[in-house]
Amino acid sequence: MTTTNAVSVTGLTKRYGDRTVVDHLDLELPAGVIAGFVGPNGAGKTTTMAMLLGLVRRSGGTGTVLGRPIDDPAAYLPRVGALIESPAFYPSLSGAENLRVFATVAGHDDVAGRIDTLLDIVGLTGRGDDRYRSYSLGMKQRLGIAAALLGEPDLLILDEPANGLDPQGVREMRALVGSLSARGRTVLVSSHDLSELEQVCDWLVLIDTGRSLYQGPTGALLGGVSDGLAVAPQHDGDRVRLHDVLVADGHDVTGRDGDNLVIDVSGSRVDDVAARVNRAAFDAGIVLVELSPLRTSLEDRYLALVNGGSR
Amino acid sequence: MTRIVRAELQRVLRRRTLLVTALGCLAFAVVSALTVFANAEPSAGGTTVVSRRGAPPLAALTGHGGGTEAFVIGASFIGFFVFVTFIAVLAGEFSGGTFRALLLRDPHRRRLIVGKLLGLLLVAAGAVALAEALTFVVSLAAAPGNDIATSQWFTLTSAGDALRDYATVFAGVTGWAVFGTTLAVVFRSTPLALGVGFAWAGPFENIVVDSWTTGYRVFPGQVLGSLIRGGTVELGLERAVLTAAVYAVVAAAVSLWLVSRRDVTA
Repeated sequence: MTTTNAVSVTGLTKRYGDRTVVDHLDLELPAGVIAGFVGPNGAGKTTTMAMLLGLVRRSGGTGTVLGRPIDDPAAYLPRVGALIESPAFYPSLSGAENLRVFATVAGHDDVAGRIDTLLDIVGLTGRGDDRYRSYSLGMKQRLGIAAALLGEPDLLILDEPANGLDPQGVREMRALVGSLSARGRTVLVSSHDLSELEQVCDWLVLIDTGRSLYQGPTGALLGGVSDGLAVAPQHDGDRVRLHDVLVADGHDVTGRDGDNLVIDVSGSRVDDVAARVNRAAFDAGIVLVELSPLRTSLEDRYLALVNGGSR
Repeated sequence: MTRIVRAELQRVLRRRTLLVTALGCLAFAVVSALTVFANAEPSAGGTTVVSRRGAPPLAALTGHGGGTEAFVIGASFIGFFVFVTFIAVLAGEFSGGTFRALLLRDPHRRRLIVGKLLGLLLVAAGAVALAEALTFVVSLAAAPGNDIATSQWFTLTSAGDALRDYATVFAGVTGWAVFGTTLAVVFRSTPLALGVGFAWAGPFENIVVDSWTTGYRVFPGQVLGSLIRGGTVELGLERAVLTAAVYAVVAAAVSLWLVSRRDVTA
């Protein structure tokens, strides 16, 4: 990761009359990251992206995109590829013909020969000559990404690229997005499906009602944080005794998770607590078959932030 | 600008579109020529200038410009067709999101809309030329059966008339195209823009001019109709050109202002 920012804006604001859709949002995206832009429907993700792309006028805010002022989208858009809202192409043209038209408008006549390669990259091999209107939703999304890749952009902005896809399509889209950060390219991908982003993004921007809740590395949000420690004895008959041993050792046994006892680890390092639990069980002659931290999901962290924890 | 025009031509000039356009021009030529010949009337005083709603005098058909007279009279339909087509195509670009998608490749909004307009107008220019040529051929074939002499259709003067007819028709078509573009930009919805366009240029203008003849000189659709016919009894050519130009400039200014100012959300 480099120290420069692909996107650096402060106070980004969009108001429609009395309604504030994006509220003084500061956004810093280091170059080269795959950044997940997370928020529920109506959180302001699409509007924020549309402002970065010059489609929607800002009510306030300044900054740069790829080092150029956000006031001058024409200066940086040639280096930006985007799929925003939903893919939009000419239904009567084939996928390849649509890409040629878009390449001509962008002045990328030289990439016309790369269209087959782009179709291969997004998994539309052999379908480029089919009319766009015959494409499935997943194929349309893929063609939208192929169009975004015209001109080898340094920054990709993808608005809910997996929206409406079936589970197989979501998985394939995730793999595709993960592969797009090659050669230092920065990717900003929005979604309200948190598990989808958790698996592919190394940077997260969480927003709600147009305000930033968190920005930073995915690991910093999720790592080192645990809801608890799951513990299970080898023999079911030892479960009550294990409970008593752990309580006597000063642990806060908060409940059950299936066959496991759950120990609260808040305020402590999970590794330290695990070592103490293991030692106490061993001293009591109880063999453990489960001793694992309960991972906090992005969804859990997000909901905690939305509910006021770290705003 | 050039690349947007090229992209538009790339999009439109496809075999199927060209075939449909050619067939449309042929149908226009046949219907226009046969209808005009069937309705031609002996003229009073030999004048060839007609009313917006008048049938062509026989003198106009046997004179120098007779070979393209049917084209000029039928071209009011071409104007309205272009109006509807531009509304449908450009409003569809807004509602279908392709305008937004194209802006991501070229963020100069005014350049994009003007480039698209020019690209479509180039196609329209070709279609108008083809329609004129085909109408001339069909008129030539149909003339003997309607006792129309064609000896004056092949002179230098008639060639000049044909060029002038093309120029006035294409000027009118351009006006309709600008108005169609403006409605598309204002409403950004094909059904809404088409509805307003139809209602205005169809029933509204034509009903009002029945009782208020000044409407022939004021309403945009009537002005363009007179321009396309090379001037009419109600509105001479010079005045038609001037009025149409003023309307077109205002409409273009409104379109460009809206395109550059409004958020692109569709």
